[in-house]
Amino acid sequence: MKTILKRAVLLVILSAGLIVTAGTAAAHHGFAVFDTTARKTVTGTVKTFEWTNPHTWVWLDVPNDKGGVDTWGFEGMSPNFLGRRGWTRNTLKPGDQITVTYFGLKDGSKGGSFLSGKRPNGEELVMFGGGPTEDR
Amino acid sequence: MRYGGSQLMRRAKKNLWGFIVAALAWAAFVFATAAQDFKRPAPTPADWAALAKLPDFTGVWEVRMGGPPITNPAVGVPPLGRPAPLSLTPEYAAKKKQLQTDAPDDNQSANCLPPGMPGIMAQPYPLEFLLTPGQVTIVIEAYSQVRHIYTDGRPLPSDPDPSFFGTSIGHWEGNTLVAESVGFSPLTELEPRTPHSDKMRILERFRLADPDTMVIETTITDPEALTAPNTTSRILKRHRSWTIAEYICEQNNRNFVDRNGKAGINLTPPGGTASKPQ
Repeated sequence: MKTILKRAVLLVILSAGLIVTAGTAAAHHGFAVFDTTARKTVTGTVKTFEWTNPHTWVWLDVPNDKGGVDTWGFEGMSPNFLGRRGWTRNTLKPGDQITVTYFGLKDGSKGGSFLSGKRPNGEELVMFGGGPTEDR
Repeated sequence: MRYGGSQLMRRAKKNLWGFIVAALAWAAFVFATAAQDFKRPAPTPADWAALAKLPDFTGVWEVRMGGPPITNPAVGVPPLGRPAPLSLTPEYAAKKKQLQTDAPDDNQSANCLPPGMPGIMAQPYPLEFLLTPGQVTIVIEAYSQVRHIYTDGRPLPSDPDPSFFGTSIGHWEGNTLVAESVGFSPLTELEPRTPHSDKMRILERFRLADPDTMVIETTITDPEALTAPNTTSRILKRHRSWTIAEYICEQNNRNFVDRNGKAGINLTPPGGTASKPQ
């Protein structure tokens, strides 16, 4: 609980930081496809979490209106960056329920740039900002 | 006879000019190849011992982004590594505009092309400094790159092959490492989608502001592209518990820009039916 609280407090601090770090992310490669003007959310079940360079990828099964599921793809920061900020390759496991906050794709495809995630128990998964765990 | 003599004179004069031209060409050649021919003497125990007297740059550093603000007044430079705005010449302002019209989406880094200098020094990834006699080596985690700064007294090459990092020589001014670099590939950029000329030079000053804080002051001059030198200061923090990790951009790169500069993304899930990105 303490960790969750600590993370929640951190998130508030970091939301301010995000404005700064979004610029950093844009300076990183391949950001042109995302619509950074609006944040969206979607809830689903983790299918796979790719812990790879140059980006991690969260593949999320999201129920569609036809009674089936669509697999959405969310690009995240690299394992190098996240590994120094509390993430591991096991942070997200197949079957995990999460609500993803993201920048969508300009062409409307099912996916986007992963900004943060929230588990049903309220735990926040922050991607940008935060500074290294060593500094916390 | 007179005529013949005059012809001889002319010939001698011509030969003299030929000799002068040849001598100048030879001098230029020797000068041009001096850097390539530079042979560093084998390091002595004294050379190794001398390294201990230099400021301790060893270990892994990262440009600060976000996180708690820096309160150390000794640092005295703007935080967050924001580059100073460039003042482009009209010619290069037009080039930039044209480039952005031609390729409105993204640059080649989306295809995993490393940015080269100066952009490679401002990535959200750490750098490791290695000091050996006559050389400072910077291991750059982003794109798994390496820079070499020669501090052995060799000159800068007069006509270097253009490269992503250029050619760098350095010397110590007290506790500051001063590095000069020339000869950059046209594939590198002043900032994303802003070209430089072949006359771009980069001067970097590396110093410790406190035991675990490094300041890198980077000054770019380019008489064709910039109306004034451009200086950016970046603050880096040392992380004693970190090691440099691999960064193989081609591992799972789903971003791309095509020939027309149009950006795209591959959204085929792993194990999906469509082919994996190459």
